[in-house]
Amino acid sequence: MSDTLQNPVPDVADARLNPITVEVIGSAFASIVEEMGEALVRASYSTNIKERRDCSTALFDADGLMLCQAEHIPMHLGSFIDFVPYVLRHFGLENIAPGDIFMGNDAYEGGGTHLPDIVIAEPIFAKGRLIAWAINTAHHSDFADRGHAHIYQEGLRIPPVRLFRAGVLQEDVQRLFLLNCQVPAERISDLRAQIAANRLGVARMSELCAKYGVPTVLAAGKELMDYAERKMRAGIAAIPDGTYRFADIFDSESLDKPLEMSVSITVSGDEIHLDFVSPPQVRAGLNVVYTALLATVYYAVKTVVDPTILPNAGLARPIHVTAEEGTILRCSHPAAVDGRITACQRAVDLIHGAFAQVVPERVTAASNGSVAVASFNGRRPDKSLWVYLETIGGGSGARHSKDGLDGVHVHMTNTSNLPVEALEGEYPITLLRYELVDGSGGAGTWVGGLGLRRVYRAEAECRVQVMGSRLTSRPWGLAGGEAGAPGYFTVNGRENVFDTGSVDLNPGDVLEIVTPGAGGYGLPSRRGAEDVARDLREGRLSAPAVAA
Amino acid sequence: MAWRIGVDSGGTFTDVCLFNDATGEVVIWKVSSTPDDPSRGITQGIDEGLKRVDGAASDVTFVGHGTTVATNALIQRRGVRTGLITTEGFRDLLEIGRQKRPDLYDLQADKPETLVTRDLRIGVNERVLGNGKTEIVLNEDEIRDAVRKLKAEGAEAIAVCFLYSFLDPAHEELTARILAEEFPEGFVAVSSRIAPEFREFERLSTTVVNAYLGPVMQSYVRALKRKIVDLGITVAPQLTQSNGGVIGFDAAADLPVRTVLSGPSTGVVAAQAIGRMTGISNLITFDMGGTSSDVALLSNGRCRVVNEAVVHGYPLKTPMLDIHTVGAGGGSIAYVDSGGLLKVGPRSAGANPGPSCYGLGNDEPTVTDANVLLQTQNPEYLLNGRMKIDQELSRAAVARLAEKLGMGVLETANGILDIVTANMAKAIRVISVQRGHDPRDYALVAFGGAGPVHAARLARELGMSRVLIPRTPGVLCALGLLMTDLRTDFSATQMTRLDEASPEAIGAIFDNLAEQASQWFTQENILPEERRMERNVDLRYAGQNYEISVPVPPGPVTQASFDAIRQGFLDAHRQLYGFVADGEPIQMVTFRLSASGLVDKAEFRPLPDAGPDASAAITGHRDVWMVEAKGFVKAALYTRDALRPGNVVAGPAIIDQMDTTTVVPPGMAATVDNYLNLILEAR
Repeated sequence: MSDTLQNPVPDVADARLNPITVEVIGSAFASIVEEMGEALVRASYSTNIKERRDCSTALFDADGLMLCQAEHIPMHLGSFIDFVPYVLRHFGLENIAPGDIFMGNDAYEGGGTHLPDIVIAEPIFAKGRLIAWAINTAHHSDFADRGHAHIYQEGLRIPPVRLFRAGVLQEDVQRLFLLNCQVPAERISDLRAQIAANRLGVARMSELCAKYGVPTVLAAGKELMDYAERKMRAGIAAIPDGTYRFADIFDSESLDKPLEMSVSITVSGDEIHLDFVSPPQVRAGLNVVYTALLATVYYAVKTVVDPTILPNAGLARPIHVTAEEGTILRCSHPAAVDGRITACQRAVDLIHGAFAQVVPERVTAASNGSVAVASFNGRRPDKSLWVYLETIGGGSGARHSKDGLDGVHVHMTNTSNLPVEALEGEYPITLLRYELVDGSGGAGTWVGGLGLRRVYRAEAECRVQVMGSRLTSRPWGLAGGEAGAPGYFTVNGRENVFDTGSVDLNPGDVLEIVTPGAGGYGLPSRRGAEDVARDLREGRLSAPAVAA
Repeated sequence: MAWRIGVDSGGTFTDVCLFNDATGEVVIWKVSSTPDDPSRGITQGIDEGLKRVDGAASDVTFVGHGTTVATNALIQRRGVRTGLITTEGFRDLLEIGRQKRPDLYDLQADKPETLVTRDLRIGVNERVLGNGKTEIVLNEDEIRDAVRKLKAEGAEAIAVCFLYSFLDPAHEELTARILAEEFPEGFVAVSSRIAPEFREFERLSTTVVNAYLGPVMQSYVRALKRKIVDLGITVAPQLTQSNGGVIGFDAAADLPVRTVLSGPSTGVVAAQAIGRMTGISNLITFDMGGTSSDVALLSNGRCRVVNEAVVHGYPLKTPMLDIHTVGAGGGSIAYVDSGGLLKVGPRSAGANPGPSCYGLGNDEPTVTDANVLLQTQNPEYLLNGRMKIDQELSRAAVARLAEKLGMGVLETANGILDIVTANMAKAIRVISVQRGHDPRDYALVAFGGAGPVHAARLARELGMSRVLIPRTPGVLCALGLLMTDLRTDFSATQMTRLDEASPEAIGAIFDNLAEQASQWFTQENILPEERRMERNVDLRYAGQNYEISVPVPPGPVTQASFDAIRQGFLDAHRQLYGFVADGEPIQMVTFRLSASGLVDKAEFRPLPDAGPDASAAITGHRDVWMVEAKGFVKAALYTRDALRPGNVVAGPAIIDQMDTTTVVPPGMAATVDNYLNLILEAR
């Protein structure tokens, strides 16, 4: 290759660090995290990662600020926000070497949000200096059939520790981890895929630095954060000043009675403050650590203010979040957190409900408000254990001038389903039905999205835990739109067989999970005649609704 | 005298390429497309092209055609009313897909429209299990009722897809038989025939798209065939598929889903042929038009074939060249977003109103306006003077943007090119770096109307040292049609561990595929000596769900074949993911056989060397803004038609031809090769 075609690589930040260089480097960051994500999915072994894509990748700078997150699972931002800062605080910059690989999952020591999300981070060095981090998290479907009275029951707590020290695997650490897992063979393969994904991130960032020079890349990273901040501020400034409040009910199979939560959003110029009020933390895996609440707020505010804002640390600067410590939405040690995403989904509903008062055209009626989870575990003929976890989507809320989406994952998650033809080969389960639930969308000028029905038949003895929300409350409608239908679970047609969501299944038993629909938007009487005709023709309404 | 004809029918123009087998003469003819009925423009183009060369229809020995009919029908939802018969309990799968929402943050985003409405999706009682056993046997009467209901509802096509039909197609075959009795007038698509592979949603989606497009493609192909016969052409016309091969019109009409990348795949085939001609076998193709750019990578002269991709929102399990498209073209609009950064595309001004300089009412600056302002493109005319443009309109549009950015006008114009270049570089990284290839090991082949304008700059961005500009960059796809073989693909899914497989059992799978190929050869009248078959197997570590395709050595399947397959897998896994898992079992998933019928191809003849002096082709000079000089430099203007083999054009220079402009930056030189291609390299 000829020198004349090479850009000179300056040692100081390019004086020409103009909007164009920034844009070019920003798009390189985005392509790096995307490539890391593809490598992670394709090289992994467990169904939850390889088909359901329950994983996320990101780059952080040396100060522990996020440079870029791939568009995978919004919830996972919560696991990233405090991981690198924790490592820097705890180990000290001077004690971190090339080839160190850190692993962690704990919600109270190291910035995780629940134990199955295992974070792997590797420092990126250039010219002997730590300049950035490649980081990813993957939901390991393990720690199954555990208790949720407090976090000690929920699985192995791992503060950020070195899994590799200067390129050498710390076998002691790995053995300790694997012994605490029910499916160690999957865990080790998935960890290997996570490590490989980060290695790609390290290689690509090194190439980028070689091309533009470290100072330019780092300066562009800072500028991209400023840019995200400017866009967030410009978007907030366009929303009328004022305080907007909204309250909602939070129900779950793990709670004796529904709880009330509320938010109060104050928009003031180009800044926004969200204050959450929720009951004291509960003896159930429904509590939310502060970083998970932050990830939820950043997601929800972005959907309303400007969905195109770059996913980096800058967007958070004009957003202030408060909640009393020790409450469900800002829990403290030792609260259990495994199902925190259910409460986070409700926090999104709160935020959208409050914004509906001032920018109704930008929000949706309430979506299914749940992440229905089915976590199966059993023993194979060779006595090894198997764990299968899946989450099921539901209705997405009707919009200001459009129906809601049917049968999708909403808000804090966006995992895929597992194909029937992949599921039945891996686990002793047969899928009997997978369909939209007629009539589950709230009526309105625009109808809420339909929930999903998934019906399984056990082919061997196993235990299943089913979790969800909007089982007794319903996803609300907006502007006269009606509420969506709630969800429910049955075994052989009976609802009352679950012990806080868990039940043993025998071969031939049939488990049915029905997820909630979503709220409608606008008065049902204003729905267009053509749309009504289509609803009837396509059988999207339930029988009573048709009669009415 | 024998003429071979390639016709590429696009949205704006229909390009006809005529090749004289006896003399090696190449003639290009362009006519306006007739989107309401593309066959009119095509026959007009062939007719006029033949008249121009004084050729007779009876002299035509080959007609190859690339079409966007299937793609456009899919994009514009102009397929037919389609019904679906599927396993009871799963009729909504088509709508649910993989249950992901279309956009992570945008609450207003919608999923692609479901091609079969819910009232036309019927579940029937039947079930095959994962172990291949039939739990519920399909009842014939239930099928008949379903078919009659769909007919009564006005379905013109019916798709059939049952769970596990890739393991046991009996229920689908029975349904197909009943459809033949009850619905002989309609179009039928059966999943086990179209994509006999696992993952039910993707197989279903492929089958439905095929049914939806089938009647559209059938009537198009029949009309075109009739018109070609009416012209007096006796040879059977061929159509390109997404895999880069051609296939007979009738076969194409049965499998329209295999032609959705018909257009862009031909450009890749042409680049491949040019690579062969020039002895450059590692190429990255770069086809830049008005609204988008297509890029592909050829390693050792071959483009990777992917067996699944999402096309216009619909997952398709069908062999396609690994072509990546990005919304960056000459008409892409530049703007400043709310955070103050400059963005280019994907919104495009298209051909009408087009770039600001056209003066047709668009006042937002486009990539072409930046080029016109910087004079990398002719500031007064396009198309060799056939179309007048106004540089002052470009300047005004860019100046408005510059003001918002607080930058100079020329600096902003240059920035627009920087960003569009970065967008294209990102697309090339997807097909190179992300697949384990270093673009610096490849030459860039640039074509399309805008490709040669940006090629040198793009190559520099990626550290690529060589750029190849074909002789007719604007009509390369039509040319590619004269250089492709007949090709089709067969596959079968059967999950088997590599270390437990028996050579006999695997041999039998391939024998079965070879038997299907042999029937196809007969049907297409391919002579035995022209038949070629290549075998691949898709593998993964047992436990993974994404496969890597590895070639199977020719000849009988033996233990040695397994060793070669294992090694191929390990090498590819290391290249893609950076590691191998020692000792872990490897699983074979899908067996593939691709059948080709070799076609006599247009043979280009080398022309004699005329020496390096290119001065005879100089038509003048103009000041051109070059990024290398960070300002205007005086560049010589050359006319491409006057350049002879061996001529060397040193940058800074501009080479004009009717359908495009090639920019030779300072520090580079373009050498004309014996086939009249331009090769740009550092001086």
